[in-house]
Amino acid sequence: MSNTVEETPEQEVDLAAANKVIDKYIDMHGALMPVLQEIQEEYGYIPEPTVHLVAERLNVYSSQIFGVLTFYAQFHLEPRGKYIIRVCMGTACHVKGAGRLGDTIKERLGVGHAETTEDLKFTAEYVACIGACGMAPVIMVNDATYGSLSVQKLDEVINKYIAMD
Amino acid sequence: MVNLTIDGKQVTVKKTATIYEAAKEVGVDIPVLCYAKKLLPYGACRVCLVEVQQMKGRLIPACTTPVTEGMVVTTMSDEIRKVRKTVLEFLLVNHVIECPVCDKGGECDLQDLTYEYEVVTNRFEGEKFDLETDIVNPLIERNMNRCVLCGKCVRVCDEIVGYGSYSFINRGFETKIATAYDRDLNCEFCGQCVSMCPVGAILPRPFKYKARPWQLNEVDTVCGYCGNGCTVTLGVLDDKVETVRFNDKTGVNDGNLCIRGRFGYSYIHSDERLTKPLLRKNGQLVEVEWQEAIDAVVTGFKAAGEKLGILAGGRLTNEEYTLLKQLASATGTKSLDHSGGVCYTGVTEGVKGALGVAASTGTFPQVEECETILAIRSDFYETHPVFGMVVNQAVKRHNAELFVVSDKKGKLTKQPHASTLLTKPGLEVHILNAMAATLLEENLAVTEGVDDLDAYKASLADATPEKASELTGVPVETIRQAARSLAKADKAAILLAYGLPYSAQSLELGKAAANLAILADVAGKQGSGLYLCGEKANSQGAIDLGVMPAAGGSGAQEMLNGEMAALYIVGEDPLTSYPDRAKVENGLKKSPFVVVQDLFLTPTAQEADVVLPAASFAEKEGTFTNAERRLQRLRHGVPSPGEAKSDFTIFSQILSTLGAIVSYTGPAAVFAEIAQSGPYAGIALSDIGPQGVVWGGETLAVTKKSLQPVIGATPVEGEYLLVTGSCLYHSGTLSTKAYGPQSVVDAPYVELNAADAEKLKVVEGDTIKVSANGTELALKAKVGKVVPSGVVFAPNHFAQGGVNRLYKGETAVAVQLRK
Repeated sequence: MSNTVEETPEQEVDLAAANKVIDKYIDMHGALMPVLQEIQEEYGYIPEPTVHLVAERLNVYSSQIFGVLTFYAQFHLEPRGKYIIRVCMGTACHVKGAGRLGDTIKERLGVGHAETTEDLKFTAEYVACIGACGMAPVIMVNDATYGSLSVQKLDEVINKYIAMD
Repeated sequence: MVNLTIDGKQVTVKKTATIYEAAKEVGVDIPVLCYAKKLLPYGACRVCLVEVQQMKGRLIPACTTPVTEGMVVTTMSDEIRKVRKTVLEFLLVNHVIECPVCDKGGECDLQDLTYEYEVVTNRFEGEKFDLETDIVNPLIERNMNRCVLCGKCVRVCDEIVGYGSYSFINRGFETKIATAYDRDLNCEFCGQCVSMCPVGAILPRPFKYKARPWQLNEVDTVCGYCGNGCTVTLGVLDDKVETVRFNDKTGVNDGNLCIRGRFGYSYIHSDERLTKPLLRKNGQLVEVEWQEAIDAVVTGFKAAGEKLGILAGGRLTNEEYTLLKQLASATGTKSLDHSGGVCYTGVTEGVKGALGVAASTGTFPQVEECETILAIRSDFYETHPVFGMVVNQAVKRHNAELFVVSDKKGKLTKQPHASTLLTKPGLEVHILNAMAATLLEENLAVTEGVDDLDAYKASLADATPEKASELTGVPVETIRQAARSLAKADKAAILLAYGLPYSAQSLELGKAAANLAILADVAGKQGSGLYLCGEKANSQGAIDLGVMPAAGGSGAQEMLNGEMAALYIVGEDPLTSYPDRAKVENGLKKSPFVVVQDLFLTPTAQEADVVLPAASFAEKEGTFTNAERRLQRLRHGVPSPGEAKSDFTIFSQILSTLGAIVSYTGPAAVFAEIAQSGPYAGIALSDIGPQGVVWGGETLAVTKKSLQPVIGATPVEGEYLLVTGSCLYHSGTLSTKAYGPQSVVDAPYVELNAADAEKLKVVEGDTIKVSANGTELALKAKVGKVVPSGVVFAPNHFAQGGVNRLYKGETAVAVQLRK
């Protein structure tokens, strides 16, 4: 069987935060989803050691947790960038050239859909409509929305974030 | 009960039945892929769709829909046929068609249905799965391109085995069955998923390209390993056992097996099997003809007379034990013992003294309905894995409360509602006594008709839960809860495992468990039971038939003191399996004449003067009695290699050479004699059908209730305490000759807690030195959370391990560890 997720040798993860999350839900039945969500909030993604920790402490099989993690698009198994760039690929944005925005990001940062830069600063994600068709083509960087973009405007946005920590 | 009509046939079934089950009752077959009798209804595959008059407008899945009064069901129509055919077309869109080379061909549910519904062309097109095959593990091959996502493997691993290897991962078209992180399978390798898979997605790798299913001759017999007594159905081609087939129609195990039963058969055809008698000439064991060997044996036995010690392993049939007893009396010796003699004193003396019977009082299937289960000393997954699965179902399906009193955490510990009373090794009796004290103190105990109550109460003066807690580290409240739970349960079970690695404190534990069984009203009560689970396939038979020393004779341990003139060791390798190897070595050396009868040239056989090649369980007829008193028949599956003979034949030959008259025509004749009196009285061989016969009935009546004072042991002190025992993959020493178990665990090891490992700077796979009493062993380290800090575990199966040089029969040995 191909290993979709390679076995990483000795992943050093501080489990204290995960333990704290589990402590909160330890007596609640069916608490797997909120536990995983809060772990992701803490770590930015779901590190493998936390999966085994949750399995042990909540008495759920690791395999089942992995099933849940791969079912929901909201969970991430790999570390993600500090800045998540969501590129809208909805109909309106598509018509207005969202593809070129994706290409630009790939050129500037070297990351395509669901990829993260090596310095863990940026993650690109192509998403379906984000509900801002009036300002197509549109991207979001974390919670900030940038609309009516051109390649030049996008360049400026990228420059701004590169300059930030 | 509910009445309904299926295809015009009236049927009355219980309220909880599904349409599928009701149809089965009246002989109407509805096709299924995802349904299995022992799993909960699931409804994944949709090939069981039927029409229900009251639910017009859509088709109804028969396997998940409960019956209702007056329901009118039609199981076949043009519409149903069309829909089922469409479902099959959908499945065949992605399923790779590899039937010519697929081992499932000929017994594949998908293949059969495709044929039956004439799915010749497919209206739909799509990509075939192109996933890699799991090729790393040696036993279970997973080819997910053939998977139909019925989820049976996921469910059996969760619902029955409780291991949880698999899950559905991803979503939509990408959904597949995988392990956590989609890695290669690394599990117990019980192969339950193999037995459940309706297609060729999960296959037994050792059976690949060996035979087509229809070529196999199926022989139902009883597994020769542990006291669980599972039915194994041998798949035989050309006098060779090629595989063990799935069979959920026969026996006590519902088609469930563990790695030993399913993959542990290859020793039957091992190249290392003894095929000719060996006789020591000029210091060397050389092959001789049978007559010469038997003559030598008889001459030696005659010379020894009553100084002959006979040690019989736990895997002989009842008929063979009977002949062996006759052989003992023909030679005039009183020293005949079951090789597990010492470790079974808990049953033969402890429980017998308390209850008047020396056997489990209930049957395994009853345990599934128990509300409270107390498992003592062993995690049953390691000694009796399939019985462990019953416990699992009691907990998972019926919310039983489970208490495990043990020195390590095993799989049962992880069960929902399980409470592990984790003691330091050897202190279990303290906890059981404290539970008994709780019952008496809180007036929960049943004391009517119980003998010796006052003396017993007096003996418990010091056995308060508080004291036990102080000594063992188990919280007072947990001990009390366990006692209360046992008392309040309408049906409860107390489980205690026996066997060579568990010799220490057998008698004490037997007594303490029996006391608790009396006070909690568990023994002899319908639905409840005290379960005494023997290590070997016919340990209970040996007890029932009284294979034990006569008054004045030596038992298993004394025989090896070196005072016997001759030793006859049948089906046991005491050098490997007995505690205190030095003592056994000395005993063998000092006995002038040693005869060993076995399948292999074991370390013990290498020291013998005569070695007689014996037959395996697959090569003989007879009966075994399992740990729940179930008599089951062994059936001849394959011939013995070379000139090896069944123990029955060898005993007959020795007997007749001794001059005794042996008039039996075969094992059946001996059984007829066994059934004249004793526990098996009145049982005819022909009564022993697919489910066997449980002697004494489902609930064995106890003949007395007598409490026996028993004092807990003083704790062993030391930084690290070594305990030995059975590991899940092996049973006795025999499984170390079988490919399946060996391919997972092939060498002795020592298991330690992760915290201790860190302290010692040891990681998994390192060799560490374990020493005690001037002996030092180098063993591979296994690191985990099973054993608590301060305790180390080493399995006792391996000849090369020499663990019994450290361990002399104590519950625990203080050892030093260093890297």
